[in-house]
Amino acid sequence: MTSLQHLLSLPGASLKAEDDLDRINALCLERGWSDGLPIVPPTVARVERMLEYCDRPWDQPIAKIPPRYGAATPLRLAANAVMAGCRPEYFPLVMLAIEALAEEPFNLYGVQATTHSCSPLLIFNGPIAAALKLNAGHGALGPGGQANATIGRAVRLALVNLGGSSPGLGDMATYGSPAKYTYCTAENALANPWQPLHVERGFPEHASTVTVVAAEPPHNVNDHESTTAEGVLKTLAGTVATTGVNNINNRLSEPVILFGPEHAATVARGGYSKQDVKEYLYEHARVPLAKFSDQNRERRLRVTFPERFATAGLDAMVPMCQSPQDYIVIVVGGAGKHSAVIPTFGNERSVTRALKRRDGTFAASVDDVRATQG
Amino acid sequence: MIQLRKRGLMAAVICSEAFLKLGRAQARVFGVPDLPLILIPHPLGGLSLAEVQARADVAVPQLVELLGERD
Repeated sequence: MTSLQHLLSLPGASLKAEDDLDRINALCLERGWSDGLPIVPPTVARVERMLEYCDRPWDQPIAKIPPRYGAATPLRLAANAVMAGCRPEYFPLVMLAIEALAEEPFNLYGVQATTHSCSPLLIFNGPIAAALKLNAGHGALGPGGQANATIGRAVRLALVNLGGSSPGLGDMATYGSPAKYTYCTAENALANPWQPLHVERGFPEHASTVTVVAAEPPHNVNDHESTTAEGVLKTLAGTVATTGVNNINNRLSEPVILFGPEHAATVARGGYSKQDVKEYLYEHARVPLAKFSDQNRERRLRVTFPERFATAGLDAMVPMCQSPQDYIVIVVGGAGKHSAVIPTFGNERSVTRALKRRDGTFAASVDDVRATQG
Repeated sequence: MIQLRKRGLMAAVICSEAFLKLGRAQARVFGVPDLPLILIPHPLGGLSLAEVQARADVAVPQLVELLGERD
């Protein structure tokens, strides 16, 4: 293992700066190494502490981040995690998320460079999320939880600083999104009446995973009156079905339905499995062709989905995705009669990835992926 | 486009003005900094057929010039 001192002595790997928080922040802003908020200076000592939770060679890229295709080495990621305010024990989850984002189906180039407002939503499952106190209850999408705030921010800073997704250059989002500062949550395992997301996707319960989805910010679904599963689902379906979201006109769409625990309990009590929920939404969350502008109908929907709509009448119903299974159903949050609909980019597929030890077995804690060399 | 260019074939990317910086940066990233970009006015979406035609009128002379360079 190459020593940290040696790696930092390589050209461009580090810089000397005055030990002055304001000046270091001014320098980062000037060079575009920032999300606009103050950063924690990535000093050698802080980066070294972060790397204690990394069992991989510090200078070997675990991914390349488009559109610049900058090499995401543990060393560089650790600097970004420090800047974001991460505790060192969060670092394995930052690296895991970056690896998931770099998997081919996620289309990170498209997610980074698009004019759409999507940002990677990180959904954690399993025991490590709970051990690190990732907030899955009240306010699970922020603010307040240190792990949620800083893991998501570390990923964003890496996307900007290594991937070059600066506004108007590598990130062409028309207006961006508040979710681009941090977008990180965990499923509420205790309040989930259904299979957790990672188990649904073939991982054992004891695995700790991240699922990445290119998502818009959440749109709230308020239902204080429905007492039945069908009532809650009808409200949800009515909120999902809109004309202007990417999900309705892209083949890869996977809309996220974030159930608040109380709505989830009502729906589960009515006998609905997660698959039943997906089938209900697939059938009921639809928009008639007549609701679309002439150009969207003729130039987009009839052309993108000729098998469904090439010659369909104006009363034909357009679903929000191509099969029930495409809906991503999660349970997040605390008390309250609220859920959320989270539209997605629609030109990518979500990816779930587990944290593993070097021998390929599932990590039970972040201590399993601590540095063995340094 | 990059692969075609690297093989010595004439290749160009049609790029609207708003995406010029991204287009140039991508060409550099992929090691073909001189990849020709055929520049057309932004936007590309939400256009009438006549407006699409107008963009083609802007693009075609640039293409002809590129092909001329090749000779």
